[in-house]
Amino acid sequence: MILATTDSVHGAEVIETLGLVCGSTVRARHIGKDVQAVMQNFVGGEIPHYTKLLGEAREQALDRMIDQARALGADAVVTMRFSTAEIATGACELVAYGTAVKLRRG
Amino acid sequence: MSPEERAPTRDELLAMAYADGELDDAAAREFEARLEREPALGRELAELRQLAVLARRITPTEPADHEWRRLEAEWLHGGGQKLGLTLLAVSALGLFAALMWLLFASALPIAIKVFAGAGAAGMLLLLVLAIRARRRTLPYDPYTQVKR
Repeated sequence: MILATTDSVHGAEVIETLGLVCGSTVRARHIGKDVQAVMQNFVGGEIPHYTKLLGEAREQALDRMIDQARALGADAVVTMRFSTAEIATGACELVAYGTAVKLRRG
Repeated sequence: MSPEERAPTRDELLAMAYADGELDDAAAREFEARLEREPALGRELAELRQLAVLARRITPTEPADHEWRRLEAEWLHGGGQKLGLTLLAVSALGLFAALMWLLFASALPIAIKVFAGAGAAGMLLLLVLAIRARRRTLPYDPYTQVKR
């Protein structure tokens, strides 16, 4: 499955647009990690627990979007974007979305 | 033949095909029905998806990553964090128990004691259920291995 943030794929031609696909997730860290993150707030710098949380959410949202695209029989998802939403405090909310297309290789 | 070289079983091949989206609709539905009955198959699928997630992330590591890993491996850092969190948890539980004891030993009306006790029991029950649900679903969650 090709994922592209552009609206076309280099070396291939879009022959069919299958529609919008998206994947979302809301993931939380446990309270112990939150306590450590609060401590990190005092001294500044990167908060690795939250960076990891964002990475987990991004991969899961991406996988859910790819599952949807596969179910439609797509070869690629173009114009792919990430977006965040505000649902719960202390959680990481992420949406991955794009347009599922069929390709003909050039 | 070493364990690493053994041929994959039929179920492993089936799980690989499912994870890669290569099964047709009927075969995929049959596999999903088996997933509900066979936890071992679910774990196999989670491991395969975890591999896919890790494969997507093969990029040069930042210099800072090495230092974070070294810090986490140090006893003072890792052990100290665990000790700190354990002390915090013991203190929170102790304070909670002491507050409950104070409440029930006080001269407050019985209705307040009953409702406060019910609220505390409800909170504890929800916490226990959340921990139980996390423990049950953790082996099937491939995203916990995602690096920073």
